[in-house]
Amino acid sequence: MRGPRHMRLAWRLLARDWHAGELRLLAAALVIAVGAVTAIGFFSDRLNRAMTWQSADLLGADLRLTGAEPVPADWLAAATEHGLRHVETLDFASVVVHGDKLQLTSVKAAAPGYPLRGTLRTAAVPYAPEADTGDMPAPGTVWAETRVWQALDLSPGARIEIGNAAFTVARVLTYEPGRGGSFFTMAPRVLMHRDDVAATGVVQPGSRVTYSYLFAGSDTDLARYQEWLKTRLGPHHRLFNVRDGGSSIGRALGRAERYLGLTSLLAVLLAGVAIAMGARRYSERHYDTAAMLRCLGATQRELVALFAPQFLLLGLIASTAGCALGWLTQEAVFYLLREVYPLRLPAAGLAPAGFGFFTGLLALTGFALPPLLRLRQVPPLRVIRRELAPLPPSAWLVYGFAAMAILILMWRFTGSLLLTAAVLAGSLAAAAALAAFAGGLLALSRRAHRRVGVAWRFGMNNLWRRARTSIGQILAFGLVLMAMAVIALLRTDLLNTWQTQLPPDVPNHFAFNILPQDVAATQGFFAQHRIPASDLYPMVRGRLTEINGRPVTQAVTKEEDGNEAIRRELNLTWSATLPSDNRVVHGAWWNDAAVANPVSVEEKLAQKLGIGTGDELTFSIGGSERRARVASIRSVQWDSFHPNFYMIFPPGALDDLPATYLTSFHLAPEQKPLLTSLVRSFPAVTVLEMDQVLAQVRTILAQVTAAVELVLLFVLAAGFAVLFAALATSLDERFHEGALLRTFGAGRRQLRAAHFAEFAVLGALAGVLAAIGTELIAWALYTRAFELEYHFKWPVWILAPLAGGLLIGLAGYLGTRRVVSRSPLSVLREL
Amino acid sequence: MPEHLNGHIVSATGLSKRVSTAEGSLDILSGVNLEIKAGERVAIVGVSGSGKSTLLGLLAGLDSPTEGEVSLAGERLDRLDEDGRARVRAGRVGFVFQNFQLLPGLTALENVMLPLELAGAADAEDGARGLLTRVGLGERLTHYPRQLSGGEQQRVAMARAFAVKPAILFADEPTGNLDSATGARIIDLLFDLNREHRTTLVLVTHDESLATRCERHIHLDAGRIVQDR
Repeated sequence: MRGPRHMRLAWRLLARDWHAGELRLLAAALVIAVGAVTAIGFFSDRLNRAMTWQSADLLGADLRLTGAEPVPADWLAAATEHGLRHVETLDFASVVVHGDKLQLTSVKAAAPGYPLRGTLRTAAVPYAPEADTGDMPAPGTVWAETRVWQALDLSPGARIEIGNAAFTVARVLTYEPGRGGSFFTMAPRVLMHRDDVAATGVVQPGSRVTYSYLFAGSDTDLARYQEWLKTRLGPHHRLFNVRDGGSSIGRALGRAERYLGLTSLLAVLLAGVAIAMGARRYSERHYDTAAMLRCLGATQRELVALFAPQFLLLGLIASTAGCALGWLTQEAVFYLLREVYPLRLPAAGLAPAGFGFFTGLLALTGFALPPLLRLRQVPPLRVIRRELAPLPPSAWLVYGFAAMAILILMWRFTGSLLLTAAVLAGSLAAAAALAAFAGGLLALSRRAHRRVGVAWRFGMNNLWRRARTSIGQILAFGLVLMAMAVIALLRTDLLNTWQTQLPPDVPNHFAFNILPQDVAATQGFFAQHRIPASDLYPMVRGRLTEINGRPVTQAVTKEEDGNEAIRRELNLTWSATLPSDNRVVHGAWWNDAAVANPVSVEEKLAQKLGIGTGDELTFSIGGSERRARVASIRSVQWDSFHPNFYMIFPPGALDDLPATYLTSFHLAPEQKPLLTSLVRSFPAVTVLEMDQVLAQVRTILAQVTAAVELVLLFVLAAGFAVLFAALATSLDERFHEGALLRTFGAGRRQLRAAHFAEFAVLGALAGVLAAIGTELIAWALYTRAFELEYHFKWPVWILAPLAGGLLIGLAGYLGTRRVVSRSPLSVLREL
Repeated sequence: MPEHLNGHIVSATGLSKRVSTAEGSLDILSGVNLEIKAGERVAIVGVSGSGKSTLLGLLAGLDSPTEGEVSLAGERLDRLDEDGRARVRAGRVGFVFQNFQLLPGLTALENVMLPLELAGAADAEDGARGLLTRVGLGERLTHYPRQLSGGEQQRVAMARAFAVKPAILFADEPTGNLDSATGARIIDLLFDLNREHRTTLVLVTHDESLATRCERHIHLDAGRIVQDR
């Protein structure tokens, strides 16, 4: 029995087992497992790509490199070699002239192809409906933002001068990918063709020009190119990629990935339990076969060689089916959600399918191998003495294999071996503790059983007779219910948190350059038109030059050398009170601080520059030097869309310096024309429209929301696989019992009631266990992983046992219906 | 296996089987000595619990003795591990059991093919088909065990047992699950096949009348041979 003949026999046995229905449960568990994992994989892969695309849209590229000088030609050649597309833009400040009017603008000169990600949007005239465009300003023409049109009183086709050249103003530029960042310093935008730069004569050696290089390509190509660039970047170069944190989008992406990863783990774990149960049942149902084969002369190795290929074949077939199911599911889900996802989604990659196969085979090995290996231990004497069963495999073997499989899968999900080991060790300890607790619950329920009717007593007796199995099932169902509860909680709380971070009236416009004498009038304007606005903050521009007497450039590490906060001027403000979205994390606010000339520094900047409370900072402001001592370090919620500052001084500290004021406010779409009257009333004011950026952030959040909701379905599917696997595991015994009891005169109704009682009690106990687990996990996740406020989840303690009792009771009732519907004779004849 | 026809195909010396129970150790077999010649037909008889099935299990190498020596087809089974004993059984030993032991997921034909496939026979299907026809089930090849009566199932089991042309056949209460008329027909068939294949037969039964069809009777009582004639 060797070689291909062996495989042939294995294949025939597999086919026979399949026809006989022996493998359906195991295959179904495996298909659901792989399906769930690949569906989640495909889904998150596509969503991640979509989100990355959208983030790229906000950046205008996948990767942006900026510098004060053009990069060497070989850098761009290398980008092409790395398979990346690239395009160059120049940013410089220039005064634009129209008749007798002047306006300082921020000019962007872009080469054809710009932007690489996202699209420009334009309108014919200010505040007219905007539309996406794939075009660029033709040579000799420019597109300008509304602010330029208003400041220069332009009409379509007007001629303006930039340096030595004249241009026709063709369109209103309403949206430009990549416009973000330190917008306080931004003058309104004028977009022109790259080829027109020379004619203006504005860019001369020594001019302050920012050269930007936008790159787009596959993740791997980008990563390789970034690696290549790393060693070549100069101190003035800065790299931005779509994964840079610090923004709402970055954080939303990070949270979504962590969340989907977490869910995948739960699905894998649940699927593993189902596979283990299915394999155990398969193995037990093949004891006779194994014994007979041993009788007929098969050695242990031959038995393994006969059964292992069956499992391998089954694994391959079920994994293929699972991958297909996963792919179809996510396709169907995206199809159903086409209203929610109006944008074109990138196609799913093949990687999730590969991972699905890997997961399927690994889960089969980890969870099914120990029961399978048990087959070779079947004593041949079983053919005569049927009660002889192989010795149970050692607990080390069973749990060792499963733990190894989970470890490998978790490692793939978390990417950190240490984290994986810690999580796994914690989970195992928790499982042991919960098993002990489940045993306790079972014992407690035994005390109550004398007060219930016959059917319930019989059902509950069943639980205790199979105490070990019952504890295992309580654990498994507890895990399912816990997964559902944790996910439901996270879904609600996480999304609420995300949504409240961006309430409907979040400021969507910034107004700056408000003159001190206009402050009261500006506030009056907002009040008159009922426009919700944040406080007005004074703003003085200054540069941080020294920390404790040492130049800043010496105080920072090499990689922080290019930090904008050091190179460029900072916006300094003063305030008597701590802004509502700031929190003092170190030191004390003015009221409690006894420091002369105090200043409060933003937390991340302080970390980067190694600034602590008590340090002396030197600023260069308007040509003079100011010294201040750090009184507090503040955390700042940068994504609140309120004005925020790296440095805050107490009132009076900067009184002698010329300041302008800044605020942010929310403008509803129908109030948009008010911008014109605002700018007309206060000509010095510059308004920055942020509603486009906000709309995009909202879209991404909506997608994350949908992803989170859908992922719940897959965990549920895996949970049901466990449920039915557990049911099937005990089905043979139940058939036998049911037939005997009916022979002795038990009615069908009594048996059904007993089955319901057994599973309802099992489910309710699992629910109690789930409530405990949910509370612990929610506490850990809320406080450690997601930084959310934690409070006692009392509804879980009611809903989980109730839902568990009903759901599992009903499933058990339905799953065991056949037990009472088959004639006792046909059941007993088979034994 | 003609090489065994003149010698002893089975021999046991001082064979004992002891098991541990809650009340202490229990001797199921003690000091059994016997030799079975090739081609011989031996009935092992005794009341329930006398140790008949245990003796059959030890002689067939399905279990290992606590003490004593046992040889099958010239191989010392007590010196071999389970895999070694399996190799001795392969292709040499056939079995018929009281509870038929057909694999429920396989058809009648597939059940009979199984030992042939395990032995690597090229024409497993033809061989199995022929034997099933011989036992009168040529029309029931694709039936599953649950679709067959007890007598039919035992016939399939016999076809399976003779499929590899075994040197020795062990039958454990082959009519125990059958009514007397069906049992009689099955026994006729068993002896017919035994004659055709010139197989050594070791038949375990508590039915004295059935035992009379064998030329040699070994009586067991409380794990000891009390009569061998």
